[in-house]
Amino acid sequence: MAIDPGTYTLGPDDGTLTVRTGRTGAASKAGHDLVIEVTSWRATLELPDGAGEAALALTADSRSLRVREGSGGMTALGDDDKANIEQTIEDEVLGAGAIVFRSRRVEPAPGGALRIEGELDLLGTSRPVAFELGAGADGRIAGRARLRQTNWRIKPYSALFGTLKVADEVEVAVDARLPAPTPHAERRSPRRDHRG
Amino acid sequence: MVELDHSFTTGRPAEDAWAAMLDLDRLIPCVQGGKVVERTSPEAAKAEIRVKMGAMSMTFAGTVEVVERDDAARRARLRVKAREVGGQGHANADVAFHVSDGGGTIHTAAQITGKAASMGEGVVQTVLDGLITDFTRRLQAV
Repeated sequence: MAIDPGTYTLGPDDGTLTVRTGRTGAASKAGHDLVIEVTSWRATLELPDGAGEAALALTADSRSLRVREGSGGMTALGDDDKANIEQTIEDEVLGAGAIVFRSRRVEPAPGGALRIEGELDLLGTSRPVAFELGAGADGRIAGRARLRQTNWRIKPYSALFGTLKVADEVEVAVDARLPAPTPHAERRSPRRDHRG
Repeated sequence: MVELDHSFTTGRPAEDAWAAMLDLDRLIPCVQGGKVVERTSPEAAKAEIRVKMGAMSMTFAGTVEVVERDDAARRARLRVKAREVGGQGHANADVAFHVSDGGGTIHTAAQITGKAASMGEGVVQTVLDGLITDFTRRLQAV
């Protein structure tokens, strides 16, 4: 189902932005696959009616990642363990700062989805990302992209003398209820806003 | 039982390194996550080691004792007996040192039981190898 034209502004109240990590290494059994939710983010999807370019912009706070699930491992993750992971992400992986995605091209894809290509800026390194954003009849949108941390010069976290590592590739997914669009007359231009 | 052999360099005369390596207050902190809890005699200590596994960690607490020493040959054997804190596992090891001018060798015979052992002997061996290799690097600063 195609998304109606309009400007949509989304955030945590509308859905979830999650990061799924896996593990590798000889001692990978000791670690956990994680589902981490980004709890502070804002996205603007601009779909003009007629002429004009569609665009998507998203910003997220790297300090807002919260561990929601951990599967595998030798014992279940407790609240303290989750807090430790969040601190480690901030101290040793992402640091504190903005995560920014800006689309370069948004095109219709089969089934009413959107094919989105753009640049993701992480820790000052910008790399291309492409993914599909699908829309369901229930008014929800969903999309996922697989990213290699090392493409953004991030060294995947490792422990146990390098025998337990977070896999380089992580999956980032958005799943949200599409809010009502902003009326056309009040629309701002995301391309101008985000390219400043 | 996992058996491992490592060599290390100190860049110092054997006499200096020998004295340092038998000083448990200096030796035990060379193990990543290791600390002396209490010296119980000149050649024994209560100690613990915290092994970080990502977000989680396992702590083993027990004793480290010099059970044999030959000052002339500069050979010693340490016995480590530890139990997993809050768990059922054990980590016991016999660690034999030989110190010579500029470096030395370590032979480790370890027996790990409990959760850590459930990862499999190959994994335990790989992790122990990493732990001891890291230990030998830190010995250079002792």
